[in-house]
Amino acid sequence: MSALAHQRLLIVTGKGGVGKTTVSAALALGSARRGLRTLVCEVNTKERVTTLLGRPEVGPEIGSLEENLWSVDVRPTEALREYALMILKYESIYNAVFGNRLVGYFLRFIPSIQEIVMLGKILFHLREKRPDGSWRFDRIVIDAPATGHAITFLSVPQVVLDTVPPGPLATDATWMRDLLIDPKTTGSVLVSLPEDLPVNETLELHAALTAKIKIATAAVVLNGFIAPRFTDAERAGLPPELAEVARVHELRAHLSAEAETKLRTLPAPLTRVPRIYQAHFARAAIEAIAATLAPLLDGGRP
Amino acid sequence: MNPIAQALATKDVLVCVGSGGVGKTTVAATLALRSAVEGKGSLVCTIDPAKRLANALGLEALGNAEMPIPEKAFEAAGLKPKSTMRAMMLDMKRSWDELIEKRSPPDKRDKILNNRFYQAMSTALAGSQEYIAMEKLWELRTQRDYPLIVLDTPPTAHALDFLDAPNRILDFLDNEAAKWLLTPALAAGKVGLKLFSFGSSYVAKTISRFTGTETLQELAGFMLAISGLNEGFKERALQTRALLAAKTTGFVLVTGPMPDRMDEAVYFHTLLKQNHLDVAALVVNRVHQAVPQAQWAAAARLPDPLKQKMEATLQEAEQLAAADARGIERLREQCPGTPLIIVPRFERDVHDLKALWETSQYLFG
Ligand SMILES: Nc1ncnc2c1ncn2[C@@H]1O[C@H](COP(=O)(O)OP(=O)(O)OP(=O)(O)O)[C@@H](O)[C@H]1O
Ligand SMILES: Nc1ncnc2c1ncn2[C@@H]1O[C@H](COP(=O)(O)OP(=O)(O)OP(=O)(O)O)[C@@H](O)[C@H]1O
Ligand SMILES: [Mg+2]
Ligand SMILES: [Mg+2]
Repeated sequence: MSALAHQRLLIVTGKGGVGKTTVSAALALGSARRGLRTLVCEVNTKERVTTLLGRPEVGPEIGSLEENLWSVDVRPTEALREYALMILKYESIYNAVFGNRLVGYFLRFIPSIQEIVMLGKILFHLREKRPDGSWRFDRIVIDAPATGHAITFLSVPQVVLDTVPPGPLATDATWMRDLLIDPKTTGSVLVSLPEDLPVNETLELHAALTAKIKIATAAVVLNGFIAPRFTDAERAGLPPELAEVARVHELRAHLSAEAETKLRTLPAPLTRVPRIYQAHFARAAIEAIAATLAPLLDGGRP
Repeated sequence: MNPIAQALATKDVLVCVGSGGVGKTTVAATLALRSAVEGKGSLVCTIDPAKRLANALGLEALGNAEMPIPEKAFEAAGLKPKSTMRAMMLDMKRSWDELIEKRSPPDKRDKILNNRFYQAMSTALAGSQEYIAMEKLWELRTQRDYPLIVLDTPPTAHALDFLDAPNRILDFLDNEAAKWLLTPALAAGKVGLKLFSFGSSYVAKTISRFTGTETLQELAGFMLAISGLNEGFKERALQTRALLAAKTTGFVLVTGPMPDRMDEAVYFHTLLKQNHLDVAALVVNRVHQAVPQAQWAAAARLPDPLKQKMEATLQEAEQLAAADARGIERLREQCPGTPLIIVPRFERDVHDLKALWETSQYLFG
């Protein structure tokens, strides 16, 4: 069974700068190509997925990119407004209450309100149905924040349950947490790079996500992989200035192999994504990476 | 004179800022090391350093303590410091607790420490780590006499967070609107009032539909317990602001050469300038070096297929270097007047004093 074919919610995370957005875009594209109605969500950041896919930005409202593929940049203010309107029902009440000077304050004081409404919006769309009873989105890919922020973000339903006494917010936090910890629905995709720090952080992140938050790790992506190129015999015959170039290349390849060995200790399949050298990292690169990741998505539907 | 050397000579506080993972902690430790070696005693206050760097600095699980770097660590790196270098790891939760323990009246202490809002604030509230880093800086500056303090900063998701953090926390602790909302409870001086005795407040009622009524009561309890501390918080925040803006404080803005990191650096730079803070230098870290012409020439003389392999390798290096060079040029244009310093990408992580020292050779020209 392929690692990511069956989950409806894929949470892509890892250390800052490892390629989370890149992998999210590729997984979303791959899912859409397989006929899944797919939504890719960025979380309160400068929107990049649309640009990577060669489309105009969509902003905080869900926008269609191409067949079966939608994208949204989830932002706290808009998400709070949507959430509040859902509970308060009437715009006038919303304006009376949330137009109030207190709002700014409560945005800060209820611990994690920003995270809960953003996560809430994403998970709301995960439960949303079309008139015919089918899912509005078969799959949602979250381009989640980097390690520390991801842990904060994903623990937020539990934090709310620990902080906020029973009430509508706590009720929502409960179903949100239950969706996240259901391994049939949700899987994390841990992205790493062939360097010491990202690799160690991946191992720690896996431990934190599985033990603390109880989100299952579904796949590991080793991004920027560099394969060996020169044999020892070839290196021996090189002039000194080139021997150094070959040595550095083989050292990088060695680091890649070392990283792979370490990451293979995780109980989830590992996929290598080669380092891509292109003047402009854009759609073509995402297509190539989507092809590399295809085996993770083939052979099943949620 | 090299701008970093100049900053080291004229400043007594250096703050390393920048996006996540660009090398803030590395640069902070490098600055403190160089300073101590050259005879100006230093303390580096790191935040979540990579484990191996922490080990190299002798910081195994010592948390908030300011520890001198052991003699033998310097010896192993072939260095003879003229002065002492100290290092610490900022422990957010512990720093908050220490702050409350030190500042709050004995009868309020446990009430605060046990309050759920306090716990959320001291561990999870956005801006909390930045705030406590500022408090720590103030404490270190006023209660100790290090010739140089280098402050590392947490990887903020948004550049604004760091500068804005003290305001956010102060606002959290001492908000006029919240006081008005919670006044009946505050005036009664005890927690446990029914929410609906909050009187006129339609807003309170509506908010309680989201949070449950107890939440507001518990918040009132927290505000009440902590209200005596607010003047002190405010006072120190003002002083910290002044400290950051002082002539003797400099910011070192660190960035990587990737386009997204550079955009953030430009934005950060603008903010620092707008806040009248002194940017001593912009460090572009992990830059790929251009391929020397001699290597292309030598590669052309190789037999096939080794030639193809070598040329492919050089081509890749050239791609990376060219992309970085384009980015750096753009950065130079967008941050006029701020000196740029380029640090190459090393083959391995920077995780011991020797590697820090090598890094300093680039920072100091
Ligand atoms: N396989 C690859 N080969 C070469 N470059 C890559 C590869 N994957 C990603 N990159 C580049 O690395 C940089 C970081 O990638 P990306 O933005 O996807 O990371 P991220 O984890 O989302 O970063 P952040 O933590 O800032 O959100 C980008 O400039 C991207 O173009
Ligand atoms: N010039 C360099 N060449 C190679 N590796 C480097 C270089 N500078 C820093 N590193 C390595 O990059 C990693 C990240 O650096 P560092 O921890 O200093 O970044 P940071 O900005 O403090 O990250 P964070 O935002 O997560 O705190 C470390 O492993 C460090 O050793
Ligand atoms: Mg990203
Ligand atoms: Mg750091």
